[in-house]
This record gives sequence, C-alpha cells and structure tokens, in this order.
Amino acid sequence: MKGKITAKKIAFYVGIVLVWQALDAANVWDNTVFPSPYEVAEDLAYGAADGTLWYGIGTSLWRLAVGLVIAIVGGIVLGIFMARVETVNQTIGSIILGLQSIPSVAWAPLAIVWFGLTDAGIIFVTVAGAIFAVTINTYSGVKNINPDYIAAAQNMGAKGDQLITGVLIPAAFPYMISGFKQGWAFAWRGVIGAELLFSFLGLGFLLNVGRQLNDVSQVIAMMLVIMVIGIVIDGLVFKRLEDKVMSRWGLR
Amino acid sequence: MAKLEAKNIVKYFDHDGQQLKALGGINLTVDDGDFVCLVGPSGCGKSTFLRIAAGLQRPEEGEILLDNRPINHTGPDRILVFQEGALFPWLRVRDNVEFGLKIAGIPESERHEISNRYLEMMQLTKFANSYTYQLSTGMKQRVAIARALVMDPEVLLMDEPFASLDAQTRDLLLVEMQMIWQKTKKTIVFVTHSISEAAILGNKVAVFTHRPSTIKKIVQIDHRRPRHAEDEGLMKYQQEILAELKPEVRSMEEES
Repeated sequence: MKGKITAKKIAFYVGIVLVWQALDAANVWDNTVFPSPYEVAEDLAYGAADGTLWYGIGTSLWRLAVGLVIAIVGGIVLGIFMARVETVNQTIGSIILGLQSIPSVAWAPLAIVWFGLTDAGIIFVTVAGAIFAVTINTYSGVKNINPDYIAAAQNMGAKGDQLITGVLIPAAFPYMISGFKQGWAFAWRGVIGAELLFSFLGLGFLLNVGRQLNDVSQVIAMMLVIMVIGIVIDGLVFKRLEDKVMSRWGLR
Repeated sequence: MAKLEAKNIVKYFDHDGQQLKALGGINLTVDDGDFVCLVGPSGCGKSTFLRIAAGLQRPEEGEILLDNRPINHTGPDRILVFQEGALFPWLRVRDNVEFGLKIAGIPESERHEISNRYLEMMQLTKFANSYTYQLSTGMKQRVAIARALVMDPEVLLMDEPFASLDAQTRDLLLVEMQMIWQKTKKTIVFVTHSISEAAILGNKVAVFTHRPSTIKKIVQIDHRRPRHAEDEGLMKYQQEILAELKPEVRSMEEES
C-alpha cells in the first residue's frame, strides 16, 4: 500500500520533469525566460559547490528557528492567559484575530524602521507572522479542556505552574499542534518574504539576486529549495509530532 | 467520631437565568471509617453536594468540617472519584496514578513503590504502561480509584463511579469496593442512583429529598459482608430506602 503511494509520487515528479523538458525542447519561450530542468539543476549544483546555497539555507533556517521558538513560547503564554484571565481575553483577545489577518510581510516596513536591515528585523517579521496562529489555537485548546481534568488536578493539590505545565498544556496540546503547524508555515513565509524585502542574506535574498541578474534558473532553483524545505520540515517535524500525540490520545 | 460534617449546606443553581435552590440545608455527619451512600431523585444535587465536600464548589451557606476544622478549598485530604474517571489521556496508567504524588513532590522511587501497591490492589499491574484509550470503561474506573487511593485521603468521595459500567463489571467492582474499604479502613461517601448499589456498599444510606433537598432519612444497614447483588437479606433495606425515595421521585416528576 505504502509502496504503491510512493511509486505514484515518483511517477508524478518524473512526469513533471519530462513535461518541463519537453516544453523546453519545443523552444516556445526563450531560455532566459524559461530555463530547462538541466539548467536549474546545474545552478543548484553550482550553488552547492561554492557554498552559497548552504549558507543561504543555513541563514534562513536559523532565522526560522529563532522566530518560531519565540512565536511558539510567546503564543502559548498569550493563549493561556487569554483562556484563563477574562480581562486579557476581553482586551488583547479582541485584537488578536485582526493581527492574525495581517500578512507577515506587511510587518516588514515597520521592522526595517525599528530594527534596520538586521537579523532582528527579519526575526521580528517571522514572529509577528506566526505568533497569533499559535495564540489562537492555544486559546481554543485551553478553553476546550474537559473541566473535570482541571478539577481533578486541583483536587489532587495542583496549583499555579503545576496546573499549567501538568494539565493545561498537555490537555490543550492536540489543539496547540494545529497552531504550531499553521505558525510554522506562516513563519517560513515570513522569513522568505522579509529576506526578499530586506535583501540581507538567506534564500529570499538569493531569490532576489537571481531576479536582479535576470538569472531565471536561479530564481526557480531557489523556489524549489524553499518548497522542498517546507515539505521536509512539515513531514519530519510537525506531521510526526501530530501523529505521535494523536495516537497517544487514541484519536486515530 | 465525626470525620466529615456538613452543616446546613445551601446551594443555588443558575437555571435559565433563574436562581434555583438545589440544596436546602444539608446536614450530614460521616463518622470515621463510615461507608455512606447518598441516594436521591435525579437533579436533587447529590453530586453537587459531593463537589462541595471536595471543596471544588462553594456553598452559598453552611460549612464543611473535616476533623472539626472548617475547610474552604480543595485538597488531597478529600479525593473525588469522578463519574467519568477524568483520567488524563496524555499520561500512561502509572503516571495517572502517580499524578498527585508527583504534585506533592514525592521522589520517583517512592512514587513507584506506592503506585505498585495500588496498581496491584486494583489488578492493573499489567496495564501500568497503557494509555487510557486502550482501557475498557471498567478498567478506567479502576485506575481512577487507584489514583484516589494513592493519595491516602482522609475521606474518599465517589460520584456515581459505576454508573456507566456493564452489569458484570459493576457486580465485580461492588465486591472489590467492599474489600478495599475493609482493607484500607477509609471513610467513604458514595453517590449513586441505584438503590441496590447503595444497599450493597453502604453501612449507612442517606436519602435526599427532591429540590430544595435535605436529607430525609439515614437508613442503617447491618448486614454481613461481602454483600452482593443477589443477597436476599438486603431486600428489606432496599424496600426501606425505596419507600423513602418514591414520594421524592414522584414530586420530581410532577414538577417537570
């Protein structure tokens, strides 16, 4: 069953490359507008050989990691406060949905003014893009906890941080994972978007360099890298985490 | 000697914006080592009373005394076993049972020692590493009881813990519950809607009236143990409880 799915996937990707190659061979568009798969692969190989690709990936992933950790920790704290303290919910809670609707790159101008063209500015954009998704999902998660869980824990003597780490967070975790998944996707878009605007290292920067040099194969190569990293992180980290928690709870 | 005392407990429910008097002054004295069952028409507030005794809800009037001291908040000296168990699905059975011990800061080796004892008593040793979704309803309630017993509470409060079990599992647990009581000498307050369950378990059965409820009568049950569902000697006690309960159920039905 699993082998069959993998075979289908491989056939699909091979198909894309073949169609791509065929379109290139037909010479419909000029090579400067529509590069062949070979040229894109060559570009990747060149970037890998001289290290710019690895440096770009490393820079973007580092920014993603820092931004995501801040967004997750901050989002959990904010979400729990909103769920447990009515005043926080009525005040901060009322603008969270609005903030969530701001696309992450829309934070970039503010970040440039505040932080200049620095790592901190890019990380700010990443955090701003991701934190509210984590907050909202944590909030729903805590709100939906079976009240008997909390009562039982308090009855057994849990209070304060014991209650938060021992019951509220683990009980809300299935919801929080959805927040992490959304948050990470927003964060990745935020990093690349900010790097495009800031033009300060990273994959987004390399993408922009490709455009400036009219090097379409580099543009496509970077887009492929951004996509592949997205697939890998989602499958390796978040999908796995989700599967683990769901099976532990007996939800699947 | 009085272990747990309820003095004139009054509690209102919020019912569609209206204040409904649920508990109209409950007075109850539970002696040390007593096994008291509470029965009453549904909606009479016996579960609410139990939560008040656990300190999880506040009464509008009256007070709860434990060993003659008034208590205002919840704590592990009165552990409540919830109707649906309220086990934590993110923890294995052993970690569920040890939850309160961990909160109390008891070191791991000692926790294991204590939990092993109660896992064995509740015949859960084989399931120590299972997650709760892997257990049957009956097994879950065994875990809930073990989780309560490890805390060594002064009073064990049980809120219809066997209500959702199938008949065979329930009969088995009714016998085991008596053995646990005799072995641990715990003071137990047990809410049930089943007259036969009350007669099997309790040495006293307190009958609640319809809302606003008070305790109408306490039936003393002097019968050898272990008692079981087919025990004919319990019939007269059941009839006595039923006679008290029937008019209350009727007045509840008339109201609705």
